[in-house]
Amino acid sequence: MTVMRDQVVRQLVQVEAKANDNGLIPAFNVLVNQLPCTFWNTVAERMMAITPPDRKTAMETALVNCAYECGYHTGYGIITSPEFESAVMPMVTEGAKDVLRGAYAVFTAWGWAKSGIVQIKEGESMTIRAVDYYEADSGGEGRRAYMIRGVSAAFMELAYAAPYPNGMNTFKSDQVRGIEAGDQFGEFAVSKK
Amino acid sequence: MALDIKHTFDENTFRHSINGHGFVLHCHHYMSLTTKLAEDFADLGAVRVLAEVAEDTIRPVIESYVKEHGITAPADRLQVGCEYFAFMGLGTMTASGSAAGGEAKLPHSHVDEGWVQKWGKHDKPINHFTRGFVAAMFAVAFDKPARSFEAAETASIVMGAPQSVLSVKAV
Repeated sequence: MTVMRDQVVRQLVQVEAKANDNGLIPAFNVLVNQLPCTFWNTVAERMMAITPPDRKTAMETALVNCAYECGYHTGYGIITSPEFESAVMPMVTEGAKDVLRGAYAVFTAWGWAKSGIVQIKEGESMTIRAVDYYEADSGGEGRRAYMIRGVSAAFMELAYAAPYPNGMNTFKSDQVRGIEAGDQFGEFAVSKK
Repeated sequence: MALDIKHTFDENTFRHSINGHGFVLHCHHYMSLTTKLAEDFADLGAVRVLAEVAEDTIRPVIESYVKEHGITAPADRLQVGCEYFAFMGLGTMTASGSAAGGEAKLPHSHVDEGWVQKWGKHDKPINHFTRGFVAAMFAVAFDKPARSFEAAETASIVMGAPQSVLSVKAV
């Protein structure tokens, strides 16, 4: 048995994010927010639009980094949570590889992207494919799934870099296909820096 | 007033919707870093962009709700905004005012408390997101177009104040 993404998604989607009396959602060692997808997409679109050509790379890197740090810290909170323990860990038979598969099931359940691992060389590289993701709806030019890029590098580090919180800046992620750029699906290549 | 929330999950795309609007979960690291990004690119107008994006993308959520539920009184519409603020995990807010402006108070704020958790206190207000959120609330409350209100932070949790306060004025 290995991690069955859709089965995990259907279990985890029942876990609703509910604010406490202070209007905050503390969960997975972070404060969670739930916002319209259009907010995140429009932030990226307009930030890129105001950026002159000689600073586009810096802006793109900053947009990816926002999700990368989020993915690293929240991802750790997720894979060490009671919800992950009950929904995913019983299916884990292949160590870190299966924990990663489980993390992408959560990634999918939270509405980030209907995605999964299509190829992995343990500790070295990974290819992620997403057949639907909210960033595909964003305006702008070129491949622009900054969030999936950032979170994918973070998840790889949680699985194969130095133990949390010392594993950052070990992997990088590049987007090689994008629905928003006319491809049938999004594809992301994660490799060592 | 408790919000009437209809949460749907698309079994095909695996996307979530709240009252017909696509929603997604993220964390305070994402929000804090997005705020920091705006500060880092302030010379390009990124702080203004962040507030405007919040105004433009929160407005449809509040506006469709008050229209669908027949809520017309400005105070009630402001209250819907405050309820959504808490529902989204953004903190607690009270707001009052008129077509000329008003005030919003935040005893708890995801943006501020997330920033403090990540980096500690700061020497200036950073709640650009909520300035846009509040501008959207007031525009819906008084049936005004976008950019009809401006909100400025006059007290800030991230600077050590017990609550954040946003002063709103019609422009």
